[in-house]
Amino acid sequence: MALNPHKAARLRRNAVLYVAAAILLLIWVVPIAWAVVVSLKTESEVLAYPPQIVFHPTLENYRDALTGSFSILSSFVTSLILSSATTVLTILLAIPAAYAFARLRLPAKKPLGFYTLVTQMIPPIGLIIPYFLILNKIGWLDSYQGLIVVFLTFSLPFAIWLMVSYMEDIPREMEEAAFLDKANRFQTLWHIILPQVRGGIAVTVIFVFLNAWNEFLFSVQLSGNHVRPVTVAMYNFVSVEQTLWAKLAAAALVAMLPMIVIGVAAQKQIVKGLTIGAVKGGGRR
Amino acid sequence: MSDEKGRVSLSGIHKNFGSFRALKGIDLEIEPREFFALLGPSGSGKSTTLRVIAGLEAPDTGTMKVDGADVTYASPGERNVAMVFQNYALYPHMTLEQNIGFPLKMDGVSKKLIPDMVKEAARKVKIDHLLHRRPGQLSGGQQQRCALARAIVRKPRLFLLDEPLSNLDAQLRLETRVELKRLHQSMDVTTIYVTHDQEEAMTIADRMAIFLDGDIVQVGTPEEVFNRPNTIDVAAFIGSPPMNLIPGRIEERNLAVGDHRLELPDAPTGASGEVIAGIRPSHVRLTGVDGVPARLLLSENLGESMLLNLAIGDHVVKLRLPEVRRFSEGETLHLAFDPAHIHLFDPTTRRRIG
Repeated sequence: MALNPHKAARLRRNAVLYVAAAILLLIWVVPIAWAVVVSLKTESEVLAYPPQIVFHPTLENYRDALTGSFSILSSFVTSLILSSATTVLTILLAIPAAYAFARLRLPAKKPLGFYTLVTQMIPPIGLIIPYFLILNKIGWLDSYQGLIVVFLTFSLPFAIWLMVSYMEDIPREMEEAAFLDKANRFQTLWHIILPQVRGGIAVTVIFVFLNAWNEFLFSVQLSGNHVRPVTVAMYNFVSVEQTLWAKLAAAALVAMLPMIVIGVAAQKQIVKGLTIGAVKGGGRR
Repeated sequence: MSDEKGRVSLSGIHKNFGSFRALKGIDLEIEPREFFALLGPSGSGKSTTLRVIAGLEAPDTGTMKVDGADVTYASPGERNVAMVFQNYALYPHMTLEQNIGFPLKMDGVSKKLIPDMVKEAARKVKIDHLLHRRPGQLSGGQQQRCALARAIVRKPRLFLLDEPLSNLDAQLRLETRVELKRLHQSMDVTTIYVTHDQEEAMTIADRMAIFLDGDIVQVGTPEEVFNRPNTIDVAAFIGSPPMNLIPGRIEERNLAVGDHRLELPDAPTGASGEVIAGIRPSHVRLTGVDGVPARLLLSENLGESMLLNLAIGDHVVKLRLPEVRRFSEGETLHLAFDPAHIHLFDPTTRRRIG
């Protein structure tokens, strides 16, 4: 059966797209797939050369990583607390701040908005020493509050500016209508603005949580034995004498889990954030 | 309700946006229960005036009073005004029922009473069958009705409408216009209506204010504004098409335009020299060969009437013919002007003479 030329051209185009997508996917998936394979081997199998294709999978490494002598479980909980607290505080503080930047007539609004971003402009490595000195001085090294405050200095500017762009998208008339309906500012924010930026809040929550969860540079310097996030704890498997690759892989995969769960769960929320509009001639983007 | 009548007085209202002078000293008295239109081209300050009345914009100087009480700096919520926005400003995440009920909820009305009041308001604008939909699922006309219902669900002291019909198609606009008038009669509330459409203002309003360049140039009933425009600018704005404005001279109760003379027995005494003469297209007639000769440029068939564009020398004159006839373009017709319907304006002050 002969294909007509249009169909053939389309097939060729699609084939090229699929190959390109497959290559990109491969680059992304191989390290994770490799980690999964490694985590199911014994330490000696990992180092065997040539690599063994056929082996007896074992969950031993996961047991060790969770409950063994190098257990990351308590660090996992620590990371969970740090990330959740950072996220909650960020959202609580960023929403009113973003609303103010988006809507209120503030003196010095422009410079304020600019300097909010100052931590994003300095190379993070340059901030480690001042942060260390400050936390040391006030006795907050290796503490939850110390790390959370440091995380906030990065998550807040980011969250504020992300939320500002969502809030600015809401037509002013909508708020003015609410004011005329006798709603005060707080009621307007609560009943009119927030429901419409749900999607934006969800996106912000995900990014802030993800960044806090993945944070390593500051944690490794400012934490200690007491408050040790999972990113730092994973280094227990790396020592001068040896690297326990299989256990490290298992630990890393466990540490990845919350992010994957959140990503999948939030996908729907993000799409939902694109609410259909009330204003004639346009929906909310 | 007894002492709440809804008399609005604005005096000396100035408002600048940066270097743009949006309002240049507005004085306005709106009577209780009046249907009052703010009419003007875009950028003339009518919407800004409405926003000052609503409390959404504070004037730079001037005062606003409602029933004698100074509310210049009162917040929108304190003024007990309801407003329909040009783009309706419905809350997209709420159902119509929640949209209409929102002002009641914010006003602290008992939860038990809200559903009945919402239904009542929805019934008045015929959307009571749509209460569980969201704004995004409605047509433009239905959204507009929802905005109206949200405004009338409580008993506002002032009812403000900002170009409420401009987003509707022509047919729906005519229907809604009638309904707005009916709604106003049943509500018995002072209604202030912003529009750039003079026909809309003429048909719907009890009185109107005409805005040009941040100033009110005339206040009056539609008849007054139509029959006695007090400046050249109002004359050039009101009427579709507006009146013909032709420069001429007044000499001994005669109007001279080029070589033509027209006796004006009613011309105001003392009027002399250069004037701008205005006459509506419906007051220009076709006549016999003793009339002023004019060349036909274009004829527009309007169904029941015709609009003729004619040239007298360098001037184009429009004529409305109450019947439809066949003309050939370029032919010469003869015109007569009804002296009783000639308006005279001073070309320097631009004001009406007499």
